[in-house]
Amino acid sequence: MMAPVLAQASEELLTNPTLFHYLFVSTIMFSIGVIGFLTRRNMIIMFLCTEMMFQAAGIALVAFSRYHLNHSGEVFVIFVLTIAAAEAALALALVVLLFRRRESLDAAAWAEMKG
Amino acid sequence: MSLVGAIGNDVLTLAAEAASTASGSGPGWMAAVPLLPLLASALCGLCLAGRIRSKLPAAIVVLSIAAAFAVTLFGFLGRADGAQVITIFEWIGLSWGSGPGETLSADFGFYMDGLSWLWMLFVTGLGSLIALYASEYMSGDKGYARFFAAFALFVFAMACLVMGDNLVLLYLGWEGVGLCSYLLIGYFYKRPAAVAAAKKAFIVNRIGDLGLAIGVFLTFVTFGTVEYDELFRMIDEGVAANGQPLEELWQTWTIPLLLMVGAFGKSAQLPLYVWLPDAMEGPTPVSALIHAATMVTAGVYLVARMFPLFVYDGVPHYALNTIAWVGTLTALFSATIGMAQFDIKRIMAYSTVSQLGYMFAGLGFLTTTGAAFHVFTHAFFKATLFLCCGAVMHGFAGQLDLRRLSGLIHMKGWLIVSLAMLVGCLNLAGFPLITAGYFSKDMILSQAFTTPDSIVPYSSLMGWILLITAGLTAYYTFRVFFRVFVGPVEYEPGDEVHDHGHDDHDTHDEHGHDHGFHPHAPGWAINTVLAVLAIASFAAIGTYFVDKDHHGWVGGLLHDSSAAYHAPAHEHHAAAPELKHGGVMLTAADDHGHAADEHAASHEAGHDDHGGAHAEAGTLFGQDPHAVMYYVSAAFGIVGIFIAWLLHYAGRKTAAKSKADLLLPFLGPIPTWAQNKWYVDELYDILFRGPLWLISHLFHIIDRLLVDGIVDGVGGIPRALARSLRVGQSGILQNYAVGMAGGLGVLLLIAWILTVAG
Amino acid sequence: MEALINPILFYLCLVIGGLGVSLALPRRHVSPQVLGAMLAATAFGAIFLLLGLSTYQGNPADLPGIYFYVFALIAIGASLRVISHPRPVYSALYFILTILSSSVLYLMLGAEFMAFSLIIIYAGAILITYLFVIMLATQAPQESDVGALSEYDAFSREPMIATCLGFVLLAVLSGLIATGLTGGRHHLPLQPAAEARLDLTNEMPRKVIRELDGRGFFSKVSYDSGSGVPFTRPEIADIEVTDGVLFLDVDDPAAARHVMLDEGGRITEIIGAGAPGANTVSGDDRIPVRIPASAMPSNIDGVGYALVAEHPMALELAGVILLMALLGAVVLARKQIELTEDEKAARARTLGASMSGGSS
Repeated sequence: MMAPVLAQASEELLTNPTLFHYLFVSTIMFSIGVIGFLTRRNMIIMFLCTEMMFQAAGIALVAFSRYHLNHSGEVFVIFVLTIAAAEAALALALVVLLFRRRESLDAAAWAEMKG
Repeated sequence: MSLVGAIGNDVLTLAAEAASTASGSGPGWMAAVPLLPLLASALCGLCLAGRIRSKLPAAIVVLSIAAAFAVTLFGFLGRADGAQVITIFEWIGLSWGSGPGETLSADFGFYMDGLSWLWMLFVTGLGSLIALYASEYMSGDKGYARFFAAFALFVFAMACLVMGDNLVLLYLGWEGVGLCSYLLIGYFYKRPAAVAAAKKAFIVNRIGDLGLAIGVFLTFVTFGTVEYDELFRMIDEGVAANGQPLEELWQTWTIPLLLMVGAFGKSAQLPLYVWLPDAMEGPTPVSALIHAATMVTAGVYLVARMFPLFVYDGVPHYALNTIAWVGTLTALFSATIGMAQFDIKRIMAYSTVSQLGYMFAGLGFLTTTGAAFHVFTHAFFKATLFLCCGAVMHGFAGQLDLRRLSGLIHMKGWLIVSLAMLVGCLNLAGFPLITAGYFSKDMILSQAFTTPDSIVPYSSLMGWILLITAGLTAYYTFRVFFRVFVGPVEYEPGDEVHDHGHDDHDTHDEHGHDHGFHPHAPGWAINTVLAVLAIASFAAIGTYFVDKDHHGWVGGLLHDSSAAYHAPAHEHHAAAPELKHGGVMLTAADDHGHAADEHAASHEAGHDDHGGAHAEAGTLFGQDPHAVMYYVSAAFGIVGIFIAWLLHYAGRKTAAKSKADLLLPFLGPIPTWAQNKWYVDELYDILFRGPLWLISHLFHIIDRLLVDGIVDGVGGIPRALARSLRVGQSGILQNYAVGMAGGLGVLLLIAWILTVAG
Repeated sequence: MEALINPILFYLCLVIGGLGVSLALPRRHVSPQVLGAMLAATAFGAIFLLLGLSTYQGNPADLPGIYFYVFALIAIGASLRVISHPRPVYSALYFILTILSSSVLYLMLGAEFMAFSLIIIYAGAILITYLFVIMLATQAPQESDVGALSEYDAFSREPMIATCLGFVLLAVLSGLIATGLTGGRHHLPLQPAAEARLDLTNEMPRKVIRELDGRGFFSKVSYDSGSGVPFTRPEIADIEVTDGVLFLDVDDPAAARHVMLDEGGRITEIIGAGAPGANTVSGDDRIPVRIPASAMPSNIDGVGYALVAEHPMALELAGVILLMALLGAVVLARKQIELTEDEKAARARTLGASMSGGSS
């Protein structure tokens, strides 16, 4: 019974900001994710940054879902979560594998794979 | 005649009906004549594939060609008067409209008149004899089956050429014999000279064939048909397919010129003769059959076949006059080269060119009979000569140099060859009275003086040139005979030692010379064939006396064909100036167009069956040329033989030296020039090969720099692009991500600008 | 954008923020991370302040909820810390904070189900996996011992270029959102979430009936005492929501009912005859009823319905992807290190030496 209560509270007690407020948050978070992905050299952090970009996309999706009063947006967030989970599983498995080989998490250590 | 009916033009249909009544249709089994050799060729191909090493291919080919000869002979004996059209099957039937000239119809059919009968008789007859000769000559060669496959294919193509009832089939045969000639000249494909000669023959023939092809196209465009029957009918009527009178059409005189170019290529006339001497790289039977007796006379056949167009009155006879001059000059020119050569086969080759020149001159002087008769006699004696040369070559391991052979008649087993050679030489030299070559040559020579200048300008001058050439011919012919076949016995083998030649002759050592080499006397097949041919060469005289009405059997045949030039360019000029064109002799032509007495008068005149009227005819020493020529040409021939005897036989002690060498200082560089063929090949090198070489290398450079440059440049763009982009391929993940993020930014920016602007 | 926020101010803030972020990133020598963090916080705070002021139009009720700003700033600050903290473990923990605060934003958007599943799945499962791998792949650092950090964690690559790129992207993106996609309409207020779900009640009649039963909707139903007909609960054949009014299709079109009505004419309660304030309505088989709050479809109902009814194929595919990822992770993680020939020989030698040493 928590969720409806909170939702009602947010509706009644707080005047909700507009769609743009949420989209700005999403945009900023996405950009920070991009910056993180570009600057950090630790592969795990890089994956974290991609997760952050997913998160930003999720906020935008939910905001649009609410704006259009259509639950498909939230369903998309479920799929984003699914992909994030799958990516985490594979990416981390890869990271473990690569770390075993090089004893390093530096993405540049695998630069020779440019082919 | 269904094909003609398809044209759907009233006039043409009427003409076709007339033609169909005029020319009977012949027996369909004549199809065996070309098809039997074709089948034999295919069987030889199978033998080749089956790696059969026996003489089976030779047997197949000899039998098939002999059968073709038998069929031809049978058909000839049972022939009807006039031209017979035999349609075997519809070959090409294209129609893109119903008007005249919009239907191309060419059947696989035969147009059998005297001309085709004559040609087919000696093609198949000589073909079977020479195939028999080759069965021994070529034995032991690895390409035995290949040789006979091409040989039989040649007979097929020649039959198509000669028997075909339309120009397209003639063209098929024309290219077919060219191909077989190419294949057989290049038969010893491991020898560079043979390959070069084959290519030369092929390429030079292409020039002529281009003329022929354009001529055929133009014929179709002008007359709307390529079938002789139809064509001659239209020429007779003097109207083209579009209804215009032929006198007003430029095609009327250009088509003969173009056909003439084709004939010059195939028959080795100036300036396209250069391939024929080189063609002697082929096996000798090939030289005998293809490059002496049959294929090279295809040009004569073509001109004779299309003679109605050549003599069409009312338009200038450029083609005929050119033919006369070119034939004359070719005869003289190649005779001078032949005088200075040492390779006897090559001498024979130049003599062939020279004799072909005679034939063309004869055509030019309007005596198709003379030309055809000379073709006929020449086929026999030149085949004899070549086969004798072949026997010598075969026996002396490829030795053909007359300075290294001598006195063959005294060697064991060479008697028949020597006698056959003597017969051939007498014929070629035109020895009076007993040789056929004498009569056939005379027919042409006398016509040169008979034909009035109004038709062929300066024909007497050409006659004199040809007479001198006859003397030269006698000289170089007997030069060969006196040097090689008589005199002291001496020989040197060539460089092609036949393996099988040794074992047979190890025991008798009478000519024991050096190198342990023993001449390899010809066997029964060669001797038989030579004997038959030699007798046939003599027997050919008989034909001259058979049909007195038409000046010989050949004349009778020709009289019955499209080559019969009936009219009377001068005879009728006086009587009937309105006669516009030379009538084409079709069946029953005697019944219309000529008064019987005129005809008879023309026949009394001597050799000329063309009604050479005496009023305007030329004279020789104030006499009728036909009568005088017997003595004049005999004198020239005998003088030539005598000089040859004097210089090359009398007192000759060795093979290499003769009295002719004493003359060398007085002649200056002329013999050397003649021996080097007047540097014609070198001249062609400078005039044609050099510029072509330059142009082609220029284009090669252009191709390299420009075309390849563009292509490589196009290919290089992505490469250069990739090289510049490769810097970005660092393998560092974030660098790629920068590209992705930057690209995303740019895309979004564009979207933003677009939405704001829109 | 002008209506929301002054673009010059906005871009100025972005520049300052970018500078702050780039300073906040770990660097090799001098690392003014605190300064950078303060700059960035100032910039983003200013942006949000400006955003809030833009919607304030003199009426305090129009001021956007303070919770939004609080949690938005926490989320952004935490994500900044994710990318700037040199220690991966802390990064991951800050990412959990980001997720938590963004799940609060979800809640504010009325997406309760997603908010909690985010916490459970992301913060609970995925990030724990990350932490696990980080622990596995890095040795535990000493407290504030930067020297012990791995070289690749201690400083970042090209912070200036990356930050420039990121903030250009941010500027373009926000500009596009503000002016491009919406066609110039800036005030896009969010609708009450409950309205969205009213139509959904059509899809779940049994829930509505259960709720009505649970609230004793029919409990007071009795018939006119005068008629002497015994009480029976009417069977509800179907429900239908039309224009926000719930209609019950009942199978006994009784003559008359005594009901309580709200101001909209909707029945709130069916009561016995004679009750005070009771209205009598004539018999009809369609009864307009006010939907009880508890019977309103919740966010979970909406998401579940959308997921199963509208995207069943995608749901199945997501399951397949997860299965494949599971298999892939297993395959990848169990790969052994390939030894080179030299290494094998060396190992064999040591093994042989130890064995021979043991035997002798």
